[in-house]
Amino acid sequence: MILLEILLFPGFLFLFSLAFFTEWLDRKLVARLQNRYGPLHVGPKGILQPFADFVKLLSKEDITPARADRAPFVAMPILTLALAMTPLFCIPIDSLSALVSFEGDLIVVMFIMSLIALLVFIGAWVSTNRFGTIGGIRAGLQMFGYEVPLNIVMIGPAIAAGSLSVSGVVEWQSQNIWLILTQPLGFAILSLCLLAHLQRVPFDIPEAESEIVAGWLVEFSGRKLALLRLASNFELVLAASLMISLYLGGPTGLWHLSPFTYFIKLIICVFILSNLRALFARYRVDQLLSGTWKYLTPLALLQISMLKLLTW
Amino acid sequence: MTAFQIPFGPQHPALEEPINFMFEVEEERVVNVTPRLGYIHRGIEKIGEGRTYLQNVYLAERICGICSFAHALCYTQAVEELLGVNIPERAKFIRTIMAEMERIQNHYLWLGFAAKEMGFETLFMYAWRDRETMLGVLEMISGKRVNYGMSTVGGVRRDITDTMKKDVEAKLNYLEKRAEYYRKVCTREQTVLERTVGVGILRPRDALNLCAVGPTLRASGIRRDVRADERYAAYGEAPFKVITYKNCDVASRIYVRIDEIFESIKIIRYALKNLPDGPFRVRAPPRVPEGEAVSIVEAPRGEDLHYVKSDGSEKPARWKVRAPTLANLPSLCKMLAGVNIADIPVVIAGIDPCIACAERVVLVDTKTRGRQVWTGEDLWRYANEWYRSR
Repeated sequence: MILLEILLFPGFLFLFSLAFFTEWLDRKLVARLQNRYGPLHVGPKGILQPFADFVKLLSKEDITPARADRAPFVAMPILTLALAMTPLFCIPIDSLSALVSFEGDLIVVMFIMSLIALLVFIGAWVSTNRFGTIGGIRAGLQMFGYEVPLNIVMIGPAIAAGSLSVSGVVEWQSQNIWLILTQPLGFAILSLCLLAHLQRVPFDIPEAESEIVAGWLVEFSGRKLALLRLASNFELVLAASLMISLYLGGPTGLWHLSPFTYFIKLIICVFILSNLRALFARYRVDQLLSGTWKYLTPLALLQISMLKLLTW
Repeated sequence: MTAFQIPFGPQHPALEEPINFMFEVEEERVVNVTPRLGYIHRGIEKIGEGRTYLQNVYLAERICGICSFAHALCYTQAVEELLGVNIPERAKFIRTIMAEMERIQNHYLWLGFAAKEMGFETLFMYAWRDRETMLGVLEMISGKRVNYGMSTVGGVRRDITDTMKKDVEAKLNYLEKRAEYYRKVCTREQTVLERTVGVGILRPRDALNLCAVGPTLRASGIRRDVRADERYAAYGEAPFKVITYKNCDVASRIYVRIDEIFESIKIIRYALKNLPDGPFRVRAPPRVPEGEAVSIVEAPRGEDLHYVKSDGSEKPARWKVRAPTLANLPSLCKMLAGVNIADIPVVIAGIDPCIACAERVVLVDTKTRGRQVWTGEDLWRYANEWYRSR
């Protein structure tokens, strides 16, 4: 039974399909917002397009630059994918407790998210490309900006629920109230910081196509690029899942507890992220840093202190 | 920290134009920039010397894909001056209408281009969608979306009928509404302002010294527009304002272009309403008397200059084109010094570059200051020798 859960639902197979579905949803939504069609041909409404892209990339030539540091360069995409998938097992999808849940798994999720950002920097650095290096430095700088407010607003729900476990926060919400209602500011900051974490417009600074070609991604091709793109899909799922679990009550609420509730909320969260992506121009990295330190971090602290005042 | 060299182009996703900039950067700031041209020299001027005056109209049109009408118009004006032909009033009005329509479609295209450079994909998609409206109008009038084949020696090749006028009016209303929307987006949207205000400064004095032209010059607060200063075609009659902005940055360049869309719409409306009756073309003799002529036109990107020299035969003895981008390149290098890496694309986009129009081969001996224009064969020989010696 547990093996079935790990392999099929809500384990690997489900997560993979979810990752491809989220990419399709995101692409389609952004395309419609920008007055385009988006994926159209593979499968109904192009729903299989992300999977087709993945398979196509797997079959492409895979180049490792002569100057690159071979071992870390090859390992980086695999590690990134593994790290992007791992936290998803801590997210409750079909019941109040996740596949893996223990007191403190929220900290593990945060830690792994930081590791991914670090891996991006390392991957860019070992690729020894000039655009890649600039992209990697920008990714590192960007991390200094969004990481602090992101972690603060992820701790906010944990303080309210009195548990450092994602499942614990969901359980608390199922008995009390959705935390978005008591901490709306935290939810807004979380969405913004997650956009920065996902490197999406307006914070797609590290891969800024029109400035530095593809930034840290520039030397990755073929299988490596396929894995990295899949990893970024998983990160999108993770981001939406964190919004759901920490602020929107997880799989509970709309009907009684069911994965469909989670699914509907996922669509809403991806819509929020995609909508933000279609609205803005790209910031510069210095603007991002000053913005996060001037506004987001104090606001996140304010949210936490308000929480303390309310409970007291 | 030593300067870090970043190549930008000739192949780069931000710049479809084949030009290379070598940037020396310290941290994220550009300290020095060296432009390198020569990736797309086509030798059009030389080809032109082997063709008749009429054939060259079509060649001139193909100098640039976007300001195709401006080049054709400029060339035909020069030839008409040589011939001493007076073209009918109706042809002048139709030329004005075409030139302004081309300006509108170019400015929409440019707006999308600039938006893409600052990472604003939605604005890019919207602006290019609306540009299609103007291309549709141009196709209805001329039969083609770009390279219209309208201007010819002695007038224009096609007429604008009354049924067309009604259709054009509806499309103009739509475009005007959209331009108002874009003006609102570009003046209010915070991310656009953050990326453009105070970026890529070109002071009025520098702009004049470095011979900037067109919207780039007008965004530095200098009132200079060939349409107002030289008054070719029907510009003497149609009322319009020369748009200038004083902030000297990329934002002003955006506002100048958006406001010019309104002025162009005004000119087209006036010209359509007051379109004189009569023929739209006169016959011109194929043989051009000896002499030389210069013609200037305000292309969408700035002042476009054509010089034609005739030796009395049916082919030009010399034809020289100075496209606006060439005039703007020195000021571009001035703007680029000191900007952030992230701002490079949007600053380059600010001059609306069209490198293919600007490529020339002139050899200058720095010691004797002698100069010489190479023929195609010389270039060929030089290229072969250069590759053999490597």
